[in-house]
Amino acid sequence: MVLNDADREALTVTGVYLGSTVRSATIVVCDLAQVCLENNTRGFELMPISSALERYSWLREQYFFKALPADLDETVSRCAKEVDPLGFFLHVDKGVKIAFPVQAAMYMKNEDIVQIIHNVIILEEDSELQLITGCLAGHEIKTGTHIAIEEQYIGKNARLVSTMVHAWGSEQFVYPHTGTVVEEGGRFESNYVSLRPAKHFVSNPQSWLIGKGASAKYLTVVLASPGSVIETGGTVYLNAEDTSAELAHRGVCTGGVMNQGGLLVGVASCKAHVDCAGMLLFCGEGGYIESVPGLRSMHPDARMSHEASIGKIAPEQVQYLMSKGMEEREAISMLIRGFLGTDVEGLGAELDGQIAKIVEVAGHGED
Amino acid sequence: MSKSNGNILEIKDLCVRVGTEEVLNHIDLEIPDGEVHALLGQNGSGKTSLMMAIMGFSEYEVTHGTILFQGKDITESDVCERARLGIALAQQRPPTIRGVTLRDILAYFFRNEDNPEKKISGLAVSSRMESLLDRDINHGLSGGEIKRAELLQLLALSPIFSMLDEPDSGVDVEALSLMGELINRLFTFDPDHPVHRKAGLIITHCGSILRSFPIDKAYVMVNGQIGCSGNPTILMKHINNFGYDSCIRCMGAR
Repeated sequence: MVLNDADREALTVTGVYLGSTVRSATIVVCDLAQVCLENNTRGFELMPISSALERYSWLREQYFFKALPADLDETVSRCAKEVDPLGFFLHVDKGVKIAFPVQAAMYMKNEDIVQIIHNVIILEEDSELQLITGCLAGHEIKTGTHIAIEEQYIGKNARLVSTMVHAWGSEQFVYPHTGTVVEEGGRFESNYVSLRPAKHFVSNPQSWLIGKGASAKYLTVVLASPGSVIETGGTVYLNAEDTSAELAHRGVCTGGVMNQGGLLVGVASCKAHVDCAGMLLFCGEGGYIESVPGLRSMHPDARMSHEASIGKIAPEQVQYLMSKGMEEREAISMLIRGFLGTDVEGLGAELDGQIAKIVEVAGHGED
Repeated sequence: MSKSNGNILEIKDLCVRVGTEEVLNHIDLEIPDGEVHALLGQNGSGKTSLMMAIMGFSEYEVTHGTILFQGKDITESDVCERARLGIALAQQRPPTIRGVTLRDILAYFFRNEDNPEKKISGLAVSSRMESLLDRDINHGLSGGEIKRAELLQLLALSPIFSMLDEPDSGVDVEALSLMGELINRLFTFDPDHPVHRKAGLIITHCGSILRSFPIDKAYVMVNGQIGCSGNPTILMKHINNFGYDSCIRCMGAR
């Protein structure tokens, strides 16, 4: 299968640009096959997970289904049943700092596909990587199921910045599950943005901060339209001293169901905060936002806090911006963009397009 | 459209309600083009309500009377239309907006400029407000910083009619001279011709701004009505000597 111009254009929605000079490497899975692999940069390996399993016996012994055990839950066990799994293996050598992002796309081009993915990412000591992952359905595609697990291992003083952008069909089912292990001084930053919601989306990424001073930071930005059920969570286990974690959810709901969760588990002396914020513009029939940030402290020196808020766009804020010469639509757009608080590279136009649709719905809600 | 008679703003027999409360009662006010007038009065006398009504905030419902701007009836115009006609307001207590920075708003103002970032930084440096550019609108700012941030936006907009709600309250002595300098800049077309000014309306509770910025005429507001009007220095001196109570007694005796 070859990607045509329309496919290439579709991928750009999620920040994946084929042939770009500002990407270190690219891998694309389309429906049930890997269709593209480019890597011109030294210092790391990028290959299909099936090839890596054949080449490296230690991968299966030390990493494969280790962060996420095969019997952990339904999503992981479904992936474990795949004999020849789709997905990629990414291994960054010790001390290597990759200049430009590596990009990966999981693309569902046709209707009714069941795409099952298993990725393993390993960053050795003192290495750095920025990863952009776009998971999407083609523009006219409505149905299908995407089940994906990703196991990430961040070595001592290494840093992984992972930006994941999703854009799904309205009747699709999507179940991603990420497990991340962070060693001493390692840093993990995760930005998750959902532009077009699936019918049902469940994500509960888990992180284990196992080395002194390790940190994890999650930002989840979700837009929920009518007919979608979005469940975003996140669990961070702060197992070593001086670890820190921040979990931030931002959701704009225009009629779907949105459950924002998040649990921080303070096993050692640590600092952690979880923040869930929802903007409910329009309930539609049965739409709502439910925010349940959670804390579990198992150590007297664990400093942990949480906050949750759900509101609408404040009329006095709209009028304030209008008093500066903005039209109502422009004011609402600026407030939503400010609320989402995200500026993910390459997403400006698509995010603006989605926000424009929300503003449209918000206008109907106020009639 | 009616003629403006040389007045940039004309308010005729204006009554305004917020919810069920009448906040302005039969206000008449005329501001000639090129003049800056001041509203004096106790807290709750209706000064801010008058400015909010002129700006067109929907909470301030006009129940009677008209507002003319440059001869055009704007009584039914929304707040954005009025802003685009050249009316601007620096609020005393503007809302806090998380995630939207002063830079975002200035970038909107300069969106059609060739180099908006250069314009923003130039303005911020000349106003000594660089440190506020990337702060969320009014979040965690001191009273004085809020006043400066509001004023910076007006400087960027360069309106033909500016309203300032208590620019001198909560501002320390040192910052007061900076505020005076910025307010002078706001109302000046050309520094070589300082007498030729843009028009506006300033609320002052304590009158400190009068020392650094010349006002053409002042009004005393009492219970949603305008009482005396006249020379600002004489009015302020009277109020300092006898208090607003004397104005209330005077209004009551009429």
